[in-house]
Amino acid sequence: MEQKEIQDEIFAYLEKMKGKKKLKEKDVIKKIMADHAELDKNTVKTALREMINVGKIMYAYGGGASSVEIPSEEYLKEKGLI
Amino acid sequence: MAKYDTPMLDELEKGPWPSFVTEIKKAAKTNKMSDDELGQLEKSFQTKRGYWKHGGIVGVLGYGSGVIGRYSSLPEEFPGVAHFHTYRINQPSGFFYTSAALKEICDIWDKYGSGLTNMHGSTGDLVLLGTTTEALEPLFAEYSSRGWDLGGSGSAMRTPSCCVGMARCEWANIDAMGICNHMTQHFQDELHRPAFPYKFKIKVSGCACDCVAAIARADLSIIGTWKGNIRIDQAEVKKYADGGMDIQSEIIDMCPTDCMSYDGGEIKINDVQCSRCMHCIAKMTKALRQGEEKGATVLVGSKAPIVVGSLISWVLVPFIKCDDEDFEKLTELTENIIEWWDDNAKPRERLGELIEVKGMRPLLEAVGVDPQPQQVREPRKDPFFFWADSDFEK
Repeated sequence: MEQKEIQDEIFAYLEKMKGKKKLKEKDVIKKIMADHAELDKNTVKTALREMINVGKIMYAYGGGASSVEIPSEEYLKEKGLI
Repeated sequence: MAKYDTPMLDELEKGPWPSFVTEIKKAAKTNKMSDDELGQLEKSFQTKRGYWKHGGIVGVLGYGSGVIGRYSSLPEEFPGVAHFHTYRINQPSGFFYTSAALKEICDIWDKYGSGLTNMHGSTGDLVLLGTTTEALEPLFAEYSSRGWDLGGSGSAMRTPSCCVGMARCEWANIDAMGICNHMTQHFQDELHRPAFPYKFKIKVSGCACDCVAAIARADLSIIGTWKGNIRIDQAEVKKYADGGMDIQSEIIDMCPTDCMSYDGGEIKINDVQCSRCMHCIAKMTKALRQGEEKGATVLVGSKAPIVVGSLISWVLVPFIKCDDEDFEKLTELTENIIEWWDDNAKPRERLGELIEVKGMRPLLEAVGVDPQPQQVREPRKDPFFFWADSDFEK
């Protein structure tokens, strides 16, 4: 599975869960690995980290715990990404 | 500036002690954020209410840690603190700075923030208090271009911290600064990317005096200790006595394990009973020295009383060598501990709480450490014991 395909699945999963559940990085990795048994943890983690590096997804924080989310338009504007 | 009357805050300037109010007032002369911070704080004191909102989505691109979002709930009344984010800088091991380095940090901070600092917060980081969302990226760019990285926050590894260790302290049994730096470099990813169930803190102390309070605040505490007998210089003992020290009441009677005696001439120590608390060595530095074989005790599970009550650390490895070539063993052990915790903890559950729920046995099995008498923290409270199948095979 190509990294781009993994990233598309990560993004789709985060989009689906938006507003329903705060997902930790590990929840996302587990979900992708459960759907694709051939993938190992490091491959998924690397794909996810690449997305964070370019602002496609981001870390958020609330109530003492961190989660990964799709950034808002405001955030992307603030970072000069759109 | 100084547009606010602060009668209640002024009370905190009275007395012989340093006052944070005085320092904020100094900053408020030239900085609007600090001025509004004074106004909001005075209002909080008057109304007995807090006006800070905490959390949200702030940070620098690619990082999830190091910036803590803070907003005023009264932005119209105090526009200078509408955004008042905290920015954590990863401190040097042992908190050593040159004055040029401090000036560099403060000059940049004056440009982008309130000018207020917290040197150091209980996190260990150098904490900068109060900047805006727009200033975060340029602030980060300036600091990182000069070698200052962000520290940890959120559900991440927090910036490891340590005492001054061998750099200034003759009691250091281990190279606390070396271990701290090694851990910091090794766990960069875990520090900047919050992927854990909750925070994870590492603190390193050179001896049981524990100047960074590792035993009370860190999920992983590495505390220097020794094997063998305390070395006694009886001639120096005599000098302490001749100098007026009441050895019986100040040293012997204060020994927590009652393992020392003094006959008016010489000190004797039953080293088998010694718990290596450092009291006698700290009081009679010239007469008593630690044993020659140095290393560390690794403890796990302490925390301050957020979410549920406070916990004190629990011995995991009674003695581990900590020379440079042993640092990798420490990081490997740390990785195994984190993996077990990360696999088993609920959100916002610290390592110590998980051990209380699951027991020490699964942790020992997961990290490959044998059970040892030193790991017994307290007598068992319940009479039931559940044997594993493997116990019957032994």
